[in-house]
Amino acid sequence: MEIKSHEAGDIIVMELEGRFDAYSAPKANEWLEEVMTNRKPPNVIVNLENVVFVDSTALATLVQAMKRCRQLDGDLRLSNLKQPVRMIFELTRLDRAFEIFNLEEEAVGAFTA
Amino acid sequence: MSKAKLSPEARMISTVISGQRSQFRSLADAWQTAGATSLSVWANGARLAAWPKGVIDITPSMSAPIRINGEDVGELVVDGVGNPAAEKALIANAGFISRLARMENELNGMTERLIDTQDQLLAVYGLTEATRNHLELDDLLTQVAKIATELVSCEAAFVLIQQPDGTSKVEHYPEVKLDDELIQSCLTKVADTSEYLLLNLTETEYSRAGLRGLLVHPVVIRDQITAAIGLINKKDAEFEFPDIKLLKVIAEHAGSRMEHLILFQESIEQSKLQVEADLAKRVQLRLLPTKFPEVEGLDLWAGSEPASQVGGDYYAFVDRPDRPFTFCVGDVSGKGMPAALLMAMSRTVMRTKTTVDPTPTPEVILDDCNSELYDDFTEVSMFATVFVGQYHHEERRLMYANAGHSPVVFCPYDGEPVLFEADGTAIGVLPTSLAEDQEVIFRKDDVLVVMTDGFSEASNHDDELFGYDRLLKVVKMLSKKSAKGIFDGLYETIKNFSAGRPQDDDQTMIVIKGV
Repeated sequence: MEIKSHEAGDIIVMELEGRFDAYSAPKANEWLEEVMTNRKPPNVIVNLENVVFVDSTALATLVQAMKRCRQLDGDLRLSNLKQPVRMIFELTRLDRAFEIFNLEEEAVGAFTA
Repeated sequence: MSKAKLSPEARMISTVISGQRSQFRSLADAWQTAGATSLSVWANGARLAAWPKGVIDITPSMSAPIRINGEDVGELVVDGVGNPAAEKALIANAGFISRLARMENELNGMTERLIDTQDQLLAVYGLTEATRNHLELDDLLTQVAKIATELVSCEAAFVLIQQPDGTSKVEHYPEVKLDDELIQSCLTKVADTSEYLLLNLTETEYSRAGLRGLLVHPVVIRDQITAAIGLINKKDAEFEFPDIKLLKVIAEHAGSRMEHLILFQESIEQSKLQVEADLAKRVQLRLLPTKFPEVEGLDLWAGSEPASQVGGDYYAFVDRPDRPFTFCVGDVSGKGMPAALLMAMSRTVMRTKTTVDPTPTPEVILDDCNSELYDDFTEVSMFATVFVGQYHHEERRLMYANAGHSPVVFCPYDGEPVLFEADGTAIGVLPTSLAEDQEVIFRKDDVLVVMTDGFSEASNHDDELFGYDRLLKVVKMLSKKSAKGIFDGLYETIKNFSAGRPQDDDQTMIVIKGV
């Protein structure tokens, strides 16, 4: 899985690509840990547009990061979920735990509003 | 002139003379018969031997060079004769001595090589003997340093190894002569070049550091240079080529000993882990129900298969006379030992809440569990999806609450199968559970299948998931069978679908049928 990022004001956007699973989760976790250590408050958007699959370890990684960001007065929000990935969030009802946006710009807008 | 001061060439001719003394005497006799007053051999301006004995001043009248490999290394000299025939004879004699000296030279070379080989054999033997009974890495490294010090005859030695966990270990013998930082840089250097490192310092250079000579050889362990042996200050001399050859042999042998020891230690670790994992698996299997309760109005069957040795899935039944029959299926995110530990915790909390709470509806059970486990799950970055069901036979009512769990398939005997989707997030995600009680009437021949995603996300050779559509169809197709029949049918169908592919995730299933 590839990780790219860019900034939108005070917000950092993490772009993932490929399968987000038990094998790639540690890499994503390391990236998120670094962001949470260095940015105050950590406002993160994870753009999942190019993610084709997520497993439970990947979900746990996102949940953990979301909790930490909120503890640090920031947040982790999701955007651009493809249908199969969105379905997983709906089935596990993680859509009730995360703020999920159709487009990255909407997520950015919600942070700055 | 004393022997010690002779040049190597002179020494060689001298050896030839002492080995062939009687022949030289016969040669001198022959020359005397031909009129010569004396015969003598010279090298580097010094007289090595003369006949007759006691001749002191020789005024050479004729001489011929003694040559080895095209170089003049000495002279054969006669006194008292001087004609072309005698000169020819003298040149022939000198040529003969040259040949003898060359053969002596070759013999010396062969002897040295033989001694070298013998030394190397002794080194390997010494190292094998000394390291045979050392099963700790520290001991082995010290022994290797000790043997190297003795065999190469130097003041001190060190052995450094880069361990698989990234740390390094250095042992010195008999004392520390170089600091660890310098030793580490020696390893980096020899690892870069795959060659030995040799430093012989001049007096002014070494007077400050006390280091005259340093010879470091790389040690290959599992096809990589991850260790090095270093020798410090050869006694009374500099490190030379034979020392390098000897250290190479020591390094090769020490490398294989270290490799064996590391493999041995790893295999011990492995078997310790294996024993622990076996024990964990036995404990975990004991946590899963082995006998299914007999519940009035229900036929039920269940099973669980972890993907690794221990798993994060669980299912449990609580069947007590004073409470409705309650069952649950849980799936802790992740696999292996951490998931298994949380699985055991969740199961215990779930059972306790179900049996202790006065009116434990599924929603209450999930909410209590979430409050109890939220901090622990947060601590280890995990969560657990849980489905709790409860059957009240008098009203044939099935209550349930679903914390992020899927798939749960309800197949009414007279209708199409549907998914019971979750309304709450998994346990450990949010501080309060959002799952609420739901209920359906569970009639005769209705079927409920609660699985973990290890089944629905099983994939085939084309990376295609088994998926919910197939699941609903297969449940419908099997719904006329008994609970065990439906369980076996689903299990077989999904196993055939993912034929040949290893099981990626734990697989757990409860099947309940109204009777």
